[in-house]
Amino acid sequence: MAIIVNLDIMLAKRKMKLKDLSEAVGVSTVNLSILKQSKVKAIRFSTLNSICEVLDCQPGDILEYVANEI
Amino acid sequence: MKYITHKPKRTDFIIWFAVLAVLFLFLVISRQYLNERNPLMLLPISLLALFIFNLLVRKSVHFKAYFTSPYNIFTSKVRSEISFSISNELMFDKVIEVLSESQFTLVNENRENLSLFATAKISWLSWGENLYIHFEDQKEGSILKFCSASLFQIYSWGKNQRNFQTLIEEIEESLTV
Repeated sequence: MAIIVNLDIMLAKRKMKLKDLSEAVGVSTVNLSILKQSKVKAIRFSTLNSICEVLDCQPGDILEYVANEI
Repeated sequence: MKYITHKPKRTDFIIWFAVLAVLFLFLVISRQYLNERNPLMLLPISLLALFIFNLLVRKSVHFKAYFTSPYNIFTSKVRSEISFSISNELMFDKVIEVLSESQFTLVNENRENLSLFATAKISWLSWGENLYIHFEDQKEGSILKFCSASLFQIYSWGKNQRNFQTLIEEIEESLTV
């Protein structure tokens, strides 16, 4: 997967638990856990917007592109 | 995500339909020779008893082997396998979440065995449906093994397949957060 989700890093920086983020954003902990593992099919702009709002960060802080090594 | 489906063979349905048709014809033709004491009269009574038995035990997880057995000709079964790149534990919670919002009712969840049991309501097309889901580990992710068994139908007319397909679509859709 070329897109890496750095949600756990941002959560650690903000000293926030996944459960608290889940309640604040309105997305289930299961979905956030799957997102954290970069295993989701897609992410809605509204979800990304809410996460950025709660964690006070930019989308780039959460999503990172890593080129696949050949 | 990839999945394999094992549809019930149409020939199975044709064979059982032919058997029942012959039985029915035999009963109709020999009706004048039958009376209450004739052992053949036990057949419809036995079928009714079996139906009531299935109805009573349908929500018991202990009867999983009975409903999913290939030798149980009165329950049509659809088996499928789907693999996800998500761990077993997460998929287990994900499927519970999806089932709670679907047409299925979650009856039993076993975290130790990683298995789920859900039922679909009785409708005009079906006497109900039991859905058994088992989660297995694979290299990177999990394999979901589904077995959908109708309550008392030799052929499900594709309803099991449609219900199952809808559930898969709901799981896929739920992976968009």
